[in-house]
Amino acid sequence: MSTNEGNENDSFSVDASNSAANNDEVNTGSVRSGPSNDSEGGSKVVFLLKAAGGAPILKKKKWALPRSKTIGHIVEFLKKYMQLDAQQQQQLFLYVNQAFAPALDTTIGSVNDCFSSEGTLVLHYALTQAWG
Amino acid sequence: MSIPQIDDKEITRELWQSRLPVRFILSDEDTTKVNRSESPEPLYLMLTRHIYFPCIVEKISRYYSNYFKGNLNDPTNNINLNNLWFEYESIPLKWHYPIGVLYDLYTSSLSTSSSHLPWQIIVHLSKFPESELIRFPDIECIESHYMTTLKEADALKHKGQIIGDMQKRDHKQLWNSLLQDKYEGFWNINMKLMAYTENLKYFRYIPFRIYILDKPFIQKLFSPYDVEHNKWLTLFDLLQYSLDHEVKCEKSSNEKKITNNNVEDYRVIIHGVEPPLNTPVQWLSEYFSHPDNFLHICLVENHTRR
Repeated sequence: MSTNEGNENDSFSVDASNSAANNDEVNTGSVRSGPSNDSEGGSKVVFLLKAAGGAPILKKKKWALPRSKTIGHIVEFLKKYMQLDAQQQQQLFLYVNQAFAPALDTTIGSVNDCFSSEGTLVLHYALTQAWG
Repeated sequence: MSIPQIDDKEITRELWQSRLPVRFILSDEDTTKVNRSESPEPLYLMLTRHIYFPCIVEKISRYYSNYFKGNLNDPTNNINLNNLWFEYESIPLKWHYPIGVLYDLYTSSLSTSSSHLPWQIIVHLSKFPESELIRFPDIECIESHYMTTLKEADALKHKGQIIGDMQKRDHKQLWNSLLQDKYEGFWNINMKLMAYTENLKYFRYIPFRIYILDKPFIQKLFSPYDVEHNKWLTLFDLLQYSLDHEVKCEKSSNEKKITNNNVEDYRVIIHGVEPPLNTPVQWLSEYFSHPDNFLHICLVENHTRR
């Protein structure tokens, strides 16, 4: 498994020219004070995306989304973002705790409420089933 | 003692055995495409409450395939057994919720009559609602959904230690016992998941989901024991905490629709039963959880009952 531990410091970089204003996309547009330290602190869920099982590594690691967005939304977004369709790669799995993959209709809000640790939610993504 | 003690374990057996009579009828639109002289009769099945629709869909598609010989999978009429889905009161029924949860949530929230049995479900063979329904094309998909939900439950109860230490064949036995309706085979393994770790007398957190009509399910972190006040927390405490927390989140996200957080405005249904609200949550988690080790709690707002 490969992660990006050594590279956390550029994770805050927000590209102002991308579609950060679009609420419908995964973006860090409105994150100013870093991660909300618990789910009540801010209106968005801040989370880290880490590669697992040899998946391509994303330059941007820190993301934010409204609570009501689903795991399915993130999966679809990542497939587009990583241009997986062009590579005829159909599947992408998102894992919590490096242990289980929440159902696609689970909201990021409830995943955050139950599984963020010290204010940070970490999700691992893989192109093949990495755990279980 | 003259009166025999009722073993709480018997409750898990009662819940395991509970069934729902269901009447399946083919949608009007798909009925017009039947290529036999007679229209399909309704199909009646007794379904286990805790099972998922993909586990029994084979029976249903086999039944309807008889009526579409020849023009089955013919692209001109859009009939395709792979596009089969179920509807109740205009709501597509999710493949990955236990059948009993769907029944409790939707019949209690939507039906105009007080008696819903047999539960009448409309079968569609075309126009799969892609945007509303996640596909579970085969039984392996629902098995992997079940296993991942079980792992999530154990992550909450025991930091995933117990399920992680289990053998693959134990996982298999849980699922196969569910499919083959073998109570003993299931509980022989499941009792390990009901153990306590870290010298506790309870689970670290209770795996539960709260379902309210037209909302994504609510899931929070909730410990069954209040260490500070030295007391067991109840179903009421769990609901009050979860609804209050949800409302707080909705307000900070400026949502237009704020959930009603008055517990007394709801009927609380688990496994078709309305347990007393002062029931300790730890007890409920051990005896009233579904086979995926989650408590699936349906909340039905009183005024939505017409």
